[in-house]
Amino acid sequence: MNKIKNFIQQSWLLIVASFCFGLLIAVTNAALSPRIRQNEINKRNRLVSALLPEAKDFILLDEQIEIQSLQGKKNIEIYRAVSEADECVGWSFEAAGSGFADKIRLVVALDKNFEKIAGFDVLSSNETPGFGDQIKYDYYRDQFKGAPAGELKLVTIGERDKIDSEIVVISGATISSEAVVEILNNSITQVKEQMRKKGIIGNDKQ
Amino acid sequence: MTNSNAKTSRYGQTLLAGLWRENPVFRLLLGMCPTLAVTAAVKPALTMGCCVIFVLLCSNIIVSLMRNLLKPHLRILMFTLTIATFVTIADLFLKAFVPRMSEMLGPYVPLIIVNCIIICRAEACASKNPMLVSVIDALSMGVGFTVTLCFLAGIRELLSTGKIFEAQLMPDAFVPWAAMSMPVGAFITLGLMLGLVNIVAGKKA
Repeated sequence: MNKIKNFIQQSWLLIVASFCFGLLIAVTNAALSPRIRQNEINKRNRLVSALLPEAKDFILLDEQIEIQSLQGKKNIEIYRAVSEADECVGWSFEAAGSGFADKIRLVVALDKNFEKIAGFDVLSSNETPGFGDQIKYDYYRDQFKGAPAGELKLVTIGERDKIDSEIVVISGATISSEAVVEILNNSITQVKEQMRKKGIIGNDKQ
Repeated sequence: MTNSNAKTSRYGQTLLAGLWRENPVFRLLLGMCPTLAVTAAVKPALTMGCCVIFVLLCSNIIVSLMRNLLKPHLRILMFTLTIATFVTIADLFLKAFVPRMSEMLGPYVPLIIVNCIIICRAEACASKNPMLVSVIDALSMGVGFTVTLCFLAGIRELLSTGKIFEAQLMPDAFVPWAAMSMPVGAFITLGLMLGLVNIVAGKKA
């Protein structure tokens, strides 16, 4: 009994303060999270607009697409990019996976048939500055623009200017460039397969 | 009368301490991590400074209010808890209202939690003084830190791009000195400024 009394005497302030501070953070978070979420959506739309210049609006697909990755099963939100004439000009979604130091979150854009990659951009990453974070640089990202979807191969030697399934690494020992190719291949293959199954894309529909 | 005079002069001294005599960056050498990391341009430096002022002010007020309830062996834990709360709030506000700046500052905003200036002021001032002195101290230290950061960032931005706040200040013939925006520029600028401040302070004494 004495032990409990002593414990309460010593730590009541800490317990009360933790509770109050927790409440304060929860209230702030609840008040600001819609705005933060909106900022993220705006940023994604801005990045995808650069990859799919014809797109004027992005419409969230109602169908649920679930993909399997090392981190487990995850629902993915697929956006249909539509032009001013309300025609589908492409698709975009977020893909994530392990990088070298931290999770890499990418936004991927594909053409309307899901056959070619229109490009990708990095939403968040924590790769080594000046080395692994070159996945954000144009020279690396430009290799993906027009590359066949889901069939990327990583090579250590090759031409970066040639657009094909071969992606030239940043360097032979860079995990980051390998991670990007793996994230893209894994997510695009699975999303494509499920979209085909659900009849959202496919040669007969286009 | 003498009593009130002494009080006013104490407030005045506290207010001026952070700006020169006890400037956190130049004199106390506290908070070196953000000083080196976010001074490549004035805008992020100013944002970081404002965040530090906010956290310092809030944590000093809270610590000062509960100074008589603090158990000596649990005080550091309480300080860290208080600071972490306000840093999280500041981080959320940045993400909501200035998302680009929040991205630019990256991990350095959450890292304010371990910024020694704040924990030092909680320990050295707020936990021993009434609220008014703690508030003045927080403002003085916070403004001192922000001004110093902006000063260093100004020098670095001017030499690395020829501009400050997008305004071209250097003549066209000026060749931008890219190294100044890199870590090496931070160390060189800070080192030279510390030396200069030491010379000036030495002459005054």
